[in-house]
Amino acid sequence: MKNILLQTERLSKSFSNGGAMQHVLKNIDLELYEGDFTVIMGASGAGKSTLLYALSGMDTPTLGTIHFGDAVISDLSQDELAVFRRAHCGFVFQQIYLIDGMSVMDNVLAAGLLVNRDKKALLKRAKELFAAVDIPEETQKKFPTQISGGEAQRVGIVRALINEPEILFADEPTGALNSKTGLDVLDTLTKFNEQGVSVVMVTHDMRSARRGNRILYLKDGVILGACNLGTYVHGDTARHEKLAAFLTEMGW
Amino acid sequence: MERNMILTRANVRRAKGQTAAIVVLILIAAAMLNLWLMLALDYKANFVRCHDRLNAEDVMLALGVGGDEAEEFLAQTLEHDARTDEYYMDNVRYMPGSFPYNGGDITTPLIFLEKEAACARPVGRVEIVEESGQGEGIYMPILYKSDDIAVGKTVTLSIGDHPATYTVRGFFNSVMAGSHNCAMCEILLTKDCYDDLKESGYALDATLVPVRLKDRGDCEKYEAELKSAASEHFSGAQAAGNSYALIAQSRYISQMICAGIISAMAFFVLLIALVVIASNIINYIQENMKNLGALKALGYVGAQMIAALLFQFAGIALIVAAAGAGLSYLLFPSINAMMNAQVGIPYEIHFLPLPFVLTVAVVGAAVSLCVFFSARRIKRVEPIVALRQGTRTHSFRKNHVPLAQTKAPVHLALALKTTLSGIKQNVTVAVTMLVLSLVVVFSGLMLENVIFDITPFLDMIAGEVTDSCINVNAEAEEEFVREMEGDSRVEKAYLYHSQSSEVRHVDGVALAAIISDDFADVNNQSVVFEGRFPKYDNEVAVAAKYAREENLGIGDEIALTADGREARYLICGFTQISNNLGKDCLLTRAGYERMGELANVSYYLNLADGTDVEAFNEEMGERFAGDVNMTINVEAVVSGTVSVYVALMTMIVVAVLALSAVVIAFVLYLLVRTLIGNKKRDYGILKALGYTTGQLVLQTALSFMPAVVVFTVVGMLVCSAIINPLTALFLNGIGIVKCTFRIPVLFNVLAGAGLVAFAFAAACLMSLRIRKIAPRALLAEE
Repeated sequence: MKNILLQTERLSKSFSNGGAMQHVLKNIDLELYEGDFTVIMGASGAGKSTLLYALSGMDTPTLGTIHFGDAVISDLSQDELAVFRRAHCGFVFQQIYLIDGMSVMDNVLAAGLLVNRDKKALLKRAKELFAAVDIPEETQKKFPTQISGGEAQRVGIVRALINEPEILFADEPTGALNSKTGLDVLDTLTKFNEQGVSVVMVTHDMRSARRGNRILYLKDGVILGACNLGTYVHGDTARHEKLAAFLTEMGW
Repeated sequence: MERNMILTRANVRRAKGQTAAIVVLILIAAAMLNLWLMLALDYKANFVRCHDRLNAEDVMLALGVGGDEAEEFLAQTLEHDARTDEYYMDNVRYMPGSFPYNGGDITTPLIFLEKEAACARPVGRVEIVEESGQGEGIYMPILYKSDDIAVGKTVTLSIGDHPATYTVRGFFNSVMAGSHNCAMCEILLTKDCYDDLKESGYALDATLVPVRLKDRGDCEKYEAELKSAASEHFSGAQAAGNSYALIAQSRYISQMICAGIISAMAFFVLLIALVVIASNIINYIQENMKNLGALKALGYVGAQMIAALLFQFAGIALIVAAAGAGLSYLLFPSINAMMNAQVGIPYEIHFLPLPFVLTVAVVGAAVSLCVFFSARRIKRVEPIVALRQGTRTHSFRKNHVPLAQTKAPVHLALALKTTLSGIKQNVTVAVTMLVLSLVVVFSGLMLENVIFDITPFLDMIAGEVTDSCINVNAEAEEEFVREMEGDSRVEKAYLYHSQSSEVRHVDGVALAAIISDDFADVNNQSVVFEGRFPKYDNEVAVAAKYAREENLGIGDEIALTADGREARYLICGFTQISNNLGKDCLLTRAGYERMGELANVSYYLNLADGTDVEAFNEEMGERFAGDVNMTINVEAVVSGTVSVYVALMTMIVVAVLALSAVVIAFVLYLLVRTLIGNKKRDYGILKALGYTTGQLVLQTALSFMPAVVVFTVVGMLVCSAIINPLTALFLNGIGIVKCTFRIPVLFNVLAGAGLVAFAFAAACLMSLRIRKIAPRALLAEE
């Protein structure tokens, strides 16, 4: 029996669009489990990213509650949410969002120093993570604009993991990358998940979705269905077929 | 044109806030620029217009001798001088005296004239600017109109030692003798009052000669020669004179100071506006590199894009500068009221085309040049590179303050990164803090030396200050000195006699001579700021301003004349006393007596604390009845004269400090706004990573602090070092060449700290906009 990491009750999110309310998420009840690689799929405009950002405390829901352990994060103020994010979450974005004015290393340390005061230990962890994603020391001194997209996204992953988060949120992490570098990034995420990091990833790419052990399908703001794929094994064709069948069933 | 309009509209829409800020800055700059130009170009010209309208004199001499002999001598002298154009001779009453004004006393030679005659005289007539009803009384110069001196109220004049009370019937404008700065002050009496004064014998029967010259440029020399000739002919007679050059300068000292401050502030605000425009354009180019590339790909050329920016900014600048110049007409009445109280020559506000055109032209040209130089790089943009955001991808910057190595706390380190990568931001902060430091140091100087304790200002402006001055006949001097030495109320009595009409530099103009037995006795030892006071009878200390004009140095020998005798003296030091606008000299009594005798002598008396100066003077007047020519309550005279300066300086200090606070808040608003605009994405990322609004506000505010602190410290140090020479430059017109004002170190330190604290608080306040940046905005970008 897995531990529940994050739980939502009747989670709703609406936006005002020219005076008319647009209901993007509708009464979502959801549980995310420790150690899972959860993938949220759905067509464009289904509300995937909105759900991810609500779950991660990046945005506040219009209605409903989000529990993280004993805490109700949907009740927190913006600054309390910031503290929650730095303490428990890591983020990998589609557009990567490294800060152009800082070196690769500084991008990682700017996140790390916010939580970890022991600079020695922090530097050690940063170096281990850089080594794990194959970013050499020379690249660590460069600026984001001087490295490739794949490298940048791997730096993004290092930054997301520097504070040893309990949960890593990834929003279309391969969306801005080519096929080869996208695969590298997925391998990296898989590797960290195997090491115990819980991952929640939004994607509309089947190849990426295959990495998850649990697939949630979102349509028009509601979770239409879920599929358990089990632990990822490279080259497992049955897994691919199962996912394809699930998605076909969902109307993908 | 249409293409330019399209681009212009797009640019304005893109940066509405900055455009509004630029509009406000240009409006303020243009208003101040126009005010300054109006004050500089027309306010003083009003003197010339008024002078011409009243056919006022270029040289005026009041000789304390009346009757046919005086008139004949003066007529002969004037007519034999080829420089004389026209003159008029009037029999008047003349006596040094005083009257209460502004909480103190104004002491000056008083010239009493019969009102109708003064208004009708062909040369140097006066004009009545306010009068009420019929009846006996006096008309005062309009400068002295105040709560106490008003139509219908009474005023008591001290005519010599005789008090005389009159009802004020009105006010008049006299160009050459309408204020205490004119070496004499005219007072008009109704016929009855004039006849009474004549009968009383309180004032001397005198001759007043206003003279117009063929060439006004000769006025100073002419006046000196005329006075010298009269003194020579009527030995021992009192005389007062002035010239166009002296009056045109002395009546406008306050206007010069005020105009100087306004001009400095105008150029400062314009500079800030230019920095904002330049930063706006540079940001525009950075942010719109792709759009610029697209426009170039469509066929637009660099010049067209620059023209669009020029069209936009120069258009705004010209319209707003015109509006700002208009705004200055709303501010002018209050400035005019303030200046009128200093100048005393009524000024009618009217539209001035030249300052208006100059203001619009200067602002338009400055903005156009700024736009052209800031936008030049558009020409170098290659479409393909711009479309690929080429300038960004190839921007290899230095990684300032690497977090792995720095020992600074993370928020400070991130703030320093922003600081070190923001050259434009730092330059703007530097300019702002340097200018504001100058303003603060100037304010501190005025607070310390004028507003809180006027002594240093008095030492420089007034020369010698004491409690009482008593002028006695030379025959009674010995007894008077003995009396003073035995009086327990007198702490010190010393000869400090001003012989204003008789000493003349042979190669130049008349110099007011100050004579003392021993200058070591005088209270103000800083009157001679270079060299030393004269000790021997062949030494003289001369005004530094005059010495510079005449190319005289210490050790040079000059010839002086007085009482028709000439003697040569060695220059032993330079003086600066503003009373005679840089035309004075110091002589020992023995030195003066090589030329002439002193018929009467003025003693300065330091009285014990608590002594009633007025009562003391009255007592001495009675004890030495017949031998005391004049007593002056110096303290009261000084406070009356300086109260206007204190009020003016207080007003200026309050205004510039308030304006500084507004400027610093405004500049920081613009900088923070630009910074937040540029770093919106970074702030979104940092918020997503877990930085709180408070932490980011702190980082932003801290990022301004290095430049604020460094340039405030540098500014305060540099300005403290240059403020005295700078003030001397300002006051050069009144004969001051070296200022030794006390620099209030503690005030400067506290004010500097206050400036930094205010800047930090303002930056924090302005940075609160960061709270509006939500990490979910990153979603919108995707």
